Amino acid sequence: MKKGEIVFFAICVAFFGFMFYEGLDLAGQGRAGEIGSGLWPLLAIGASALFSVALLISSVKKHRGEGTAEDRTPEAIAEQKRQRITVTLSVVTFLIYMVVIPWLGFIFSTLVYIPIFALALGERRKSVLLISPFLLTGIIIAVFAKFITIPFPKGVGIFAEFSRLFY
Amino acid sequence: MVDIYLQAFATVLMPQNLIAMTLGALWGLLAGALPGISTSMGVVLLLSFTYTLSPMTAFVLLIGAYLGGITGGSITSILFGIPGEPSSVPTVIEGHALAKQGRAAYAMWVYLLCSIFGGLFSVFVMILATPLIANFALRFGPPEYFALTVLGLSVVSGLSGGSMMKGFLSCFFGLFLATVGTDGITGEERFTFDTVTLLGGINFVVAMVGLLAVSEIFIEAEEPFKEYKGGVEYRGLLGELPPFSLFKKYWLTMTRSPIIGTIVGALPGAGATIAAFLAYGEAARTAKHEPEKFGKGAVEGLMAAECANNASTGGSMTILLSLGIPGSNTTAMLVAAFMIHGMQPGPLLLSTRPDIIYGIFVAMLLTNLLLLVLTGTAIRLFLELNRLPYSVFSAAIMILCVIGAFGLNNSVDDLFLMFAFSVIGYFMRKFGVPVAPCILALVLGDLAELSLRRSLLLFGGSPIGLVSSPISIVLLAGALFSIVYPLLKKPKMLDGV
Repeated sequence: MKKGEIVFFAICVAFFGFMFYEGLDLAGQGRAGEIGSGLWPLLAIGASALFSVALLISSVKKHRGEGTAEDRTPEAIAEQKRQRITVTLSVVTFLIYMVVIPWLGFIFSTLVYIPIFALALGERRKSVLLISPFLLTGIIIAVFAKFITIPFPKGVGIFAEFSRLFY
Repeated sequence: MVDIYLQAFATVLMPQNLIAMTLGALWGLLAGALPGISTSMGVVLLLSFTYTLSPMTAFVLLIGAYLGGITGGSITSILFGIPGEPSSVPTVIEGHALAKQGRAAYAMWVYLLCSIFGGLFSVFVMILATPLIANFALRFGPPEYFALTVLGLSVVSGLSGGSMMKGFLSCFFGLFLATVGTDGITGEERFTFDTVTLLGGINFVVAMVGLLAVSEIFIEAEEPFKEYKGGVEYRGLLGELPPFSLFKKYWLTMTRSPIIGTIVGALPGAGATIAAFLAYGEAARTAKHEPEKFGKGAVEGLMAAECANNASTGGSMTILLSLGIPGSNTTAMLVAAFMIHGMQPGPLLLSTRPDIIYGIFVAMLLTNLLLLVLTGTAIRLFLELNRLPYSVFSAAIMILCVIGAFGLNNSVDDLFLMFAFSVIGYFMRKFGVPVAPCILALVLGDLAELSLRRSLLLFGGSPIGLVSSPISIVLLAGALFSIVYPLLKKPKMLDGV
């Protein structure tokens, strides 16, 4: 975790450093009293960068202080690996869902997304995997598309034709 | 005055508003009761569906979710010992201990009656205090507004969790995000990298949904299958109603706790959690009847915590409606709701949209009464809901997030922006950087920058103008105090050691 924290705050330092550099172009003076577009964002980014550096230093110090205390049991390592896989799978499935939703439309992509996401989270019961996509999609369409009339992505081509049957 | 209230009652009692209130309260109870969904997350998820609603219906819905969430947080706390909300931790200590003694139904009724009593008390305080504070705040100019936003941002100390440095990092990141887009004064593009999507700035609803709701699911995904199958015998609640003599016996706690809750709720950054703990601690400190029972199922402790955490809602709303300062995470989401409907909460709103303000008063009053009925009859249902497959529940939340972000502008770009924020939010949470200060700063950032720049223009660029009035001085001193005092009290809080 400590290594991860160091990497995270190092990325923060790099990100805010880059943004600060970008923000320097904005720093201009206008009429008397006008601080321009750049001062406020530069203050915010500068402060963020400073806090990131402070937290990076603090993490490095803690990491050094702890030394080899972070030796973990094989079970703990396996557990961490499982957690990482689960989170990565849920993030990836969510990203894919958003990529395909404009093409397949809401209904098809949601019908596929629900069981895959549930599987990624470790759900193995067939009844849940089979019934919940239809139930959930049906409820959402009925409540949000029909009742509240929230716009939904329709998809393209044949998928759009299909979507128009429902909303 | 009577006319305004009659009109507000007539508006709130319209069928669409009553339906919205019921749905909001049910959703809030559900969100509060289920671990993994906080009240603020429940409100964020609803926020996206209020675009097409009239402002009053939208607020009735959101108020229902807010009050329902605070009330619902204690259901699983008592029945299963799982706090649905951080403010329900004292309820877990005493309420769950009572449940383990076979007095779950009794504990549920005590909690419910005290919650509603606390909630109603704070609503009456809100009705009396909001116009007075708002009239005072009409004297505010740009320097005072700047000081006010600084005071609002100073709540970061209360929202930081363990490390204040991480809280500040999150806050300044939010202030930076608020500057993305076209500058409102000069028209210059800032950090848009020539993309059309960012020209209008980062929509706070998209950012909120990503940072708060989706990232929460990613965090929860690390330990999936949280199904709470705890069993509590259910014998019917009506037969177990606590007697009136109980409330008479603990009259001091019943008087003191809502007052603590309302005052603490009105302090920016304090909120329901601190209110519940303070009232609980005070009850334990001054207990005359059975003090040895504290920690093992003390009814007095349960009463104190529940009166106070619900009373904090009225306190938070008073400050939000009169000054425009969100006192808690959830009221920060309500600021977003005002903005969605083209309003800015604050002193001017009372004169420009009294219908909304008085409607909110009435909605809060009626929602508290509705919650008494709903919770009283639906406890059994909530018991069953905790047995739903968590995987499907998470998928449903993800889909609601997608609908909310897409529905904003019918734009796929907003979906990707939400995704980016969800990943950022996940890593922030993972490494202990709280997301709440970032959201708060994103909401208040624009106003803070504009009022600073207007103040400087007024005073020819001299920063002395920012402290030219006693009001600004008091507000800035308050901000400084709320940051420095916790550090003086607990210096290690700075880096969270």
